[in-house]
Amino acid sequence: MEAIWAARYRDLSERLNLAQLARTWDLLLLMSAREVKLRYQETVLGFLWTMAKPLLLALVFAFALNYVLRIKDPGGAPFVLFLLAALFPWTWFQSSIQFSAASFSNNAPLLKKVYFPRFVLPLSAVTSQLFHFVLSIPILVVLLLAWDYVPGPQWLLGFPLLVAIQFLMLAGLALLVASFNVFLRDLEHLVEVLMMLWLYLTPIIYPLSAVEARLGNVVYLNPMASLIQAWRDLFLYDKLPGLDIWPAVAFAAVALVAGSIVFRRLEGQFEVAL
Amino acid sequence: MKSPYDDAEVIALDGVSKRYYLSSQRVEELKTALLHLPTFLKASRARQEFWALRDVSLTIRRGESVGIIGPNGAGKSTLLRIVSRLAPLTKGKLTVRGRVSPLLELGAGFHPQISGRENAILNAVLLGLSRKEAKAKLPEIADFSELGEFIDQPMRTYSSGMYVRLGFAVAVHVKPEILLVDEVLAVGDAEFQRKCFDHIEKLRQNKVTIVLVTHDLESVKRFCDRAVLLSHGAVAAEGKPREVVDEYLSRHFEFSASPSGGGDS
Repeated sequence: MEAIWAARYRDLSERLNLAQLARTWDLLLLMSAREVKLRYQETVLGFLWTMAKPLLLALVFAFALNYVLRIKDPGGAPFVLFLLAALFPWTWFQSSIQFSAASFSNNAPLLKKVYFPRFVLPLSAVTSQLFHFVLSIPILVVLLLAWDYVPGPQWLLGFPLLVAIQFLMLAGLALLVASFNVFLRDLEHLVEVLMMLWLYLTPIIYPLSAVEARLGNVVYLNPMASLIQAWRDLFLYDKLPGLDIWPAVAFAAVALVAGSIVFRRLEGQFEVAL
Repeated sequence: MKSPYDDAEVIALDGVSKRYYLSSQRVEELKTALLHLPTFLKASRARQEFWALRDVSLTIRRGESVGIIGPNGAGKSTLLRIVSRLAPLTKGKLTVRGRVSPLLELGAGFHPQISGRENAILNAVLLGLSRKEAKAKLPEIADFSELGEFIDQPMRTYSSGMYVRLGFAVAVHVKPEILLVDEVLAVGDAEFQRKCFDHIEKLRQNKVTIVLVTHDLESVKRFCDRAVLLSHGAVAAEGKPREVVDEYLSRHFEFSASPSGGGDS
């Protein structure tokens, strides 16, 4: 194993070989497992919270939106199902970005003492949240079955496909936000508010058709709109995403490229800023 | 007995320089920056450079133990940070062959909420082992750290001595090929210290390269094959430990005897 660093490289990373890739994978796994474990540690319900929290969240939303505001699914699905099919993927999205934002700045002692592939930190925030998301799926399935919505064969292809798109999108955004946050800590607070805004801009608690009529195609400028709609179509109607998912795919590609470039540019300056 | 690998260079620094900027009033708040915009802009343009290392060239061979000495601020720690890749270089080139294990600050990655066992595995992977290797090494690590049943307790229950013992145990059991030691051997009680030294001696016999940064000149003389004296970020002397230490002492002595005369040059 030989590694050369010259000033002109400007960053600290080395070309990954196979052994290192395997080790980086191990590191990602361990870091994510630690994060999952730390989440509900020292609570009485412990691991049950992973399932209980999304369910309780759903009840609150269902009460506020359906009972108080009387929002309905134009497709005729029961409101709880209509909501959860979009809210669970969104929760993965939102919490990943929020947790990854501070992942470099909160681990300053570690970053200053040991060298390891640093992108593992924001990435492990995304994967640990993915784990929580996957664990919330059984709840959704039980509720779907309760209303005679039987998950179909398209799930087998659609689920991994949508997970992959959202994962790549999140990986890029997480790297981007976490890297900038090292230099501008205000960002992690700003992100919290922006995610709230993004939630309301995305057809999660209301149907896409409610804004489509008024705003037209502008709705599709929000890449999350097409992605959330795809999740909903898959979970409720066993429908695979069609070509109209392109905004999400394009956004994922852009986020990934931007995130990698920004991370590589800024990584070398972490030591001074942290 | 000479091994055929004795001439293999494991660390090569080629004209390495490292520049830091002395931060002249970093902007703490946007408001301050906006209110004093002209001053702020001028200050950021005229930020002062500080060269922590200047054109350092150094090669270290496999199995060698090299002591880095010099007064405070000479660049010793910066050198270790660059070799362990915690800091990018400003100029020059660095080549490293082999797994580097930094004993810079023991147990840096430990999380108080999880057990010593889990922390040890994560730490070993951070230092370069695979998960499988780390798990295989765990009994040895647990044994060396003398934690007994505490290994399965969350680390917040540990004393600072236990913390450091586990940190050291992990750092020396990750099959390091290059060990970077920065003044950390003053840990634990006298007996554990001896155990650490014995273990490092054993690693040395197994051709592990050791770079030691310390103010303890006696241990450099006793322990190292070669010493390097840094002064103001540049190599001022290099050679047999005894000679380099003497050189350091004489400079230091001259400097303190006549503070007005430029001791180092």
